[in-house]
Amino acid sequence: MTSLNRRQIMGLAAGAGLASAFPGFTAYAQEKEIVIGGSIPLTGVFAFAGVAIEAGMSDYVKLTNEAGGIAGRKLRLAYEDTAYKVDTSVAVFNKLTTQNDIHLYYGDSTGFAKTINEELNRRGTILMAGASFGSELNNPEKYPFQFMAGPDYVEMFAILLEYIAKAQPGAKLVFVNSDTEFGRDPIEASVKRAKEMGLDVVAQIVTPPTAVDVSTEVLKLRRANPDFTIFHGYVLAPLPEFMSQAKQLGLKTKFMGTFWSMDNSLWANVGAPADGFMGVMPYRYYYDTSPDAPILEKIRKLRPTYQATGYMQGFLTAMLMGEAAKRTLEAGKELNGKTLKAALNSIKDFDTGGIIGVPISVPGNSVPVGRIYQFNAADKQMKPASDWISLKK
Amino acid sequence: MDWLFFTEVTLAGLGSGALLSLTALSFVLIYKATRVINLAVGEILMLGGYLFFAFVTAFGLATWLAIPLAIAGGALFGFVVERTLIRPMLGESSISVLMLTVGLGSVLIGATELIWNTDPRALPDFMGQAPVFIGEAYVSRKIAIGFVVSALVIALFLLLFRFWRGGVALRATATDQAAAYSCGINVPAVFSLAWMVACATAAGAGLLVGAIGGISPTMGVFGLSALVVVIIGGLDSVLGALVGGILIGLVEAWAGTFLGGEYKLVTTFSILIAALMIRPYGLFGTVEIERL
Repeated sequence: MTSLNRRQIMGLAAGAGLASAFPGFTAYAQEKEIVIGGSIPLTGVFAFAGVAIEAGMSDYVKLTNEAGGIAGRKLRLAYEDTAYKVDTSVAVFNKLTTQNDIHLYYGDSTGFAKTINEELNRRGTILMAGASFGSELNNPEKYPFQFMAGPDYVEMFAILLEYIAKAQPGAKLVFVNSDTEFGRDPIEASVKRAKEMGLDVVAQIVTPPTAVDVSTEVLKLRRANPDFTIFHGYVLAPLPEFMSQAKQLGLKTKFMGTFWSMDNSLWANVGAPADGFMGVMPYRYYYDTSPDAPILEKIRKLRPTYQATGYMQGFLTAMLMGEAAKRTLEAGKELNGKTLKAALNSIKDFDTGGIIGVPISVPGNSVPVGRIYQFNAADKQMKPASDWISLKK
Repeated sequence: MDWLFFTEVTLAGLGSGALLSLTALSFVLIYKATRVINLAVGEILMLGGYLFFAFVTAFGLATWLAIPLAIAGGALFGFVVERTLIRPMLGESSISVLMLTVGLGSVLIGATELIWNTDPRALPDFMGQAPVFIGEAYVSRKIAIGFVVSALVIALFLLLFRFWRGGVALRATATDQAAAYSCGINVPAVFSLAWMVACATAAGAGLLVGAIGGISPTMGVFGLSALVVVIIGGLDSVLGALVGGILIGLVEAWAGTFLGGEYKLVTTFSILIAALMIRPYGLFGTVEIERL
């Protein structure tokens, strides 16, 4: 039996103390890993999405590690709750990047993405994506180390407009948005685009961020009497009340929304007034059993109950980060913002395992693909109403 | 000028103003009796919505039973909070009690997220879908019901404060606690009663607000709009809550319609600033006179 003298015991104790006081110190001793950092909103106004995003990212990490990791390295997700507050997100970013060797990061909002951009550019070591589809972020020159795993909000509107222009050329439209940065994002550009496509935006309605009652807005909608009404900047409320009152008034307008208001379970709870609601969705739904979607089958085995749209967003974001890391390491390059972004932009006709129904490319900072789904209240399910629409730049 | 459209917008403003008044009443009742500004009113409103949701969906109760149970749940919550958190704070500075209510609001949000998770939800429909027309003017059914309920509740409180012994005891306590004690009024019981009734009112308002806008752990932000109403109307005036709510409801409806939705909050807070400058104790609030 080996015996330790006092000096050896003291040395071991000092080493243990050092390791616990400075977690980063142990990283060199551990097997090499790839850490995805995350400022994730697990509480607050965006918590419904944050919880699902975390689940999606964690499952991608788990499945990847079970399959041997990325270029022999294990993936690890290191994240903390931000309550969807920019100052907290920045604090979490600073803390996690100090404690871990992070080259991939998930941010929770447009505000955070814009705030942290200068720091990302200064460091040049991290590639970041997040919950924001803000069109301002879809600018590789200004945001060289960021991307989004789907179309930006202007592109989402463009997909909707493309569908409308085909379904009803010359249709009358009303845009309804919340008076927030999120809500205002695509409106101006989309009014212009609609005009170019021969569509007529007859009114724009803005609701305050805390709006509960929308009676006056519905009265404005009745005056405009559009063929299509597109909502943006909401999750659920006040859409059901809007639709319910519009039906009471006998309006025939078709209601549409963008990604964050497309979750199936939220609309399933609304019931009859939700029937016919349409919108753009960049990913397939959890319950889609298409034969070309093997990853959804794996997800259903891992989690037998419905997973929200945020789950798919988190899963695909982590997948694209993983793919960028894999391509970088396989090319024998070190992981940093520049090499990871170059690897990400080399993704062409990539098979997402069926999360998106067509092969995708990431030419810039977004993945400009989506599909129109429509809610069927009888079946309590969003069902495809179009083929996949890939925007051409 | 399209007068029918103007009438419809005005009716919508009156309806949403009544909802604000009802929520503002909860602030007033507690402040009137205990001089505590309860910043957790919005979260208690949220609790009312979630209790109703739980009674209907998890327990399968009929809505006619779930509504009074949710309101009673609010009253019970008010009783427990007053006895366990507020009463031990008697004699402490008003800032300490204010911060306690801020903390209470955060605890309620956290508990709601733990119990019912973070998803926004629609409440089961208990008001029907048929439209309401007053003459030719359309009013949203839920807003019309909300207006009638709020008006009845506020009228009831005005009568109770005037004629009921408990209401008179509450007014006496609000005027002078020591004098109320010397007249044989059980002041601690009045405090309990005020918290119970105020929290029941907030829970009831939560049912109406939840029926219109759905429920979520963040719906308590509606309470902040009501706080603006009580500051304008007067923190200790039931009539002020009524007039302030209707005023804000109307102004927001007109501003939202004729200026644009982005001007609603700007207009509201401009009125708040003007009110604070001209009548800092509110339109109907008691003028506090401090003597050295």
